[in-house]
Amino acid sequence: MLERRVQCPRCNNIQSATGNPGDVVVAVCPVCGFRGKVTFPPSGKGTTPVIQLHRITKNFGDFTAVDDLSLVINKGEIYGLLGPNGSGKTTTIKMLCGLLTPTSGQATILGRQIPCKTLMQRIGYMPQETALYNDNTVHENLAFFAGIYGMTREQFRSQEERMLRFVDLERWRDTLVTTLSGGMRHRVSLACSLLHDPQVVFLDEPTVGIDPELRATFWGFFHSLSDKGCTVVITTHYMDEADRCGRVGLLRSGRLIAEGSPHDLKLQTGTTSLEDAFLRLGGRKMA
Amino acid sequence: MRLRRTLAFSKRALLQFRHDRRTLAFVLVMPLLMILIFGYTFGGEVKGVTVEVVNNDQGLQPGSLPGVPFPQGIVIANNISKNLDIETLKVHGSGNSSEARQLVDDGRAWAAIIFPENFSQNFLWSLMHPESPIRASVEVYLDGSNPTIAGAVMAAVSQAIQETMSDLAGALNVSQVRLPLTVSPVYAYGGGDTRFIDYFAPGVISFAIMMVTTMITIILFVNERRTGTLQRLLASPATEAEIVVGYSLAFGVIGLLQSVVVLVAAMLLFNISIVGSIVFALLVVMLIGFGHQGLGILLSAGAKNELQAIQFIPLILFPSILLAGLFWPIESIPSYLQPLSYVIPLRYGIDAQRSIMLRGWGLGEVWVDIVVLIAFAVLTLTGSVLLLKRKG
Repeated sequence: MLERRVQCPRCNNIQSATGNPGDVVVAVCPVCGFRGKVTFPPSGKGTTPVIQLHRITKNFGDFTAVDDLSLVINKGEIYGLLGPNGSGKTTTIKMLCGLLTPTSGQATILGRQIPCKTLMQRIGYMPQETALYNDNTVHENLAFFAGIYGMTREQFRSQEERMLRFVDLERWRDTLVTTLSGGMRHRVSLACSLLHDPQVVFLDEPTVGIDPELRATFWGFFHSLSDKGCTVVITTHYMDEADRCGRVGLLRSGRLIAEGSPHDLKLQTGTTSLEDAFLRLGGRKMA
Repeated sequence: MRLRRTLAFSKRALLQFRHDRRTLAFVLVMPLLMILIFGYTFGGEVKGVTVEVVNNDQGLQPGSLPGVPFPQGIVIANNISKNLDIETLKVHGSGNSSEARQLVDDGRAWAAIIFPENFSQNFLWSLMHPESPIRASVEVYLDGSNPTIAGAVMAAVSQAIQETMSDLAGALNVSQVRLPLTVSPVYAYGGGDTRFIDYFAPGVISFAIMMVTTMITIILFVNERRTGTLQRLLASPATEAEIVVGYSLAFGVIGLLQSVVVLVAAMLLFNISIVGSIVFALLVVMLIGFGHQGLGILLSAGAKNELQAIQFIPLILFPSILLAGLFWPIESIPSYLQPLSYVIPLRYGIDAQRSIMLRGWGLGEVWVDIVVLIAFAVLTLTGSVLLLKRKG
């Protein structure tokens, strides 16, 4: 049995709820009678290592993009890779997705050495670019990725419906991607990355160039993924977003200069914002 | 390699064509336009060439040729003029030879046909006295700048003269008229009525599939890289071989569709005759498509955007048009350039298509072409897989 302290969204009363790992239970507020769902983390969440990087280095000619990077990311975590442009965030993500081979060092995901093609079945990747086929419809894009991930017709049918509802694009199923707005394309792109129900997702700056409202929606998605036990790795250079991660790793010139929960980092440096903490820790200004 | 994943690529590409009507139109209309333009412009027959006829012929002088079974005063030049093929030539009468020559000099007529005063006299004299050195002469003042037209004019004139001679020979009761030159062509294939269009159609089918496959593949892969979809694919369980083969199958289908359209158009509009196996010809079309698909993927590595991709067009277009035997036989290009044609894959495609369609040859005869095309496809497609393995 797990115990969670929950706050009523209506009257802010704080109470405790109990449940088994992975359960969703209905809790009733004793003050105002509001009924709300409480999700309990699946077993192993936050404690089982899913991604392990051991002394990873990546050189491009003379340039070292990632320098002796070691980190461990646990199941169900939302881990933010934070750093200015050129600090090695995207290079790290690309190595984890098997798009680049590390110059030296070892990395495992879900216990498998990367790069590994069969492992990719359990991994979702959303590149920085929208990365969709613009001359196909939303449905055709989803169907294509379903085919790539070897989903059966029935699996795809139920997943497509679920994902379209998730990103609120049911009405646009048969619209050509090229005619959608930028925000809609981002949502389709996210749906394509999550369609096959991956256990680990890598999101490379998923919120660049989208409006604050959609950004909030996206963070809602990420938290619900994490609640299900899916490990989410995100790169960003928005400090307010980093605040919403479970843990962040601060990168500078390809090196990990600090790591911890946003709260711990602020305590450690005696600052009130993550941005100040980053500067205190020796980072350059982000924007 | 999994079939489901491979087919996912083919299906997506074909669906893209369905939405992108303009590209689909390009794929189908481009070869159609080529065959129409070339079919009608160099359709083998020259028509409506303006010529000036200057008839100074005074006719047969009374009493000058006793025993001639023609009325005195007959004008042979008139008979010849009447026998000129009026489909090929647009005949104008002209009164004055220097005026007619001037028209040719000015480019307003292709030729001036000038009959001298003594034409009938000498013509009939030489017909009746073959041993005499006197010959009739007709001057054809010709603009030689276009050899095809010049040839057509000369052929029409000599044909008219021959027809006139045989008409007169019958009246003269001369059993045999010896013509200055007899041409009796012997054709191994196709017979005497093989036209340029028959020769051209198999070539244009091969050329169209080459152009379309290469260009669209380059643009497709440039876009895959630019939009980031290729990154997504490489970070998925799909293998590089599945990507390459999946797209190849889609282009094979497109190529088939294209070839059928061109073949039907060529058969309906130009009545071309295909003696060989159409199924075999279509299989060769697919083979050409596979090889050039690989070439397109390889070339796409050298272009960062569509604009750069378009710059590859002349690079592939000109060698294929000039050296692969599309318009003229390879034997007619300068001998020092001929060896170059051996490295152009389209040469083998066109050669195979012509042999299959016009000569009715099978695998036993065209196997060398087929082997080269298979080798080309294997080489470029393997190269593409290796290229993609090096992370896009």
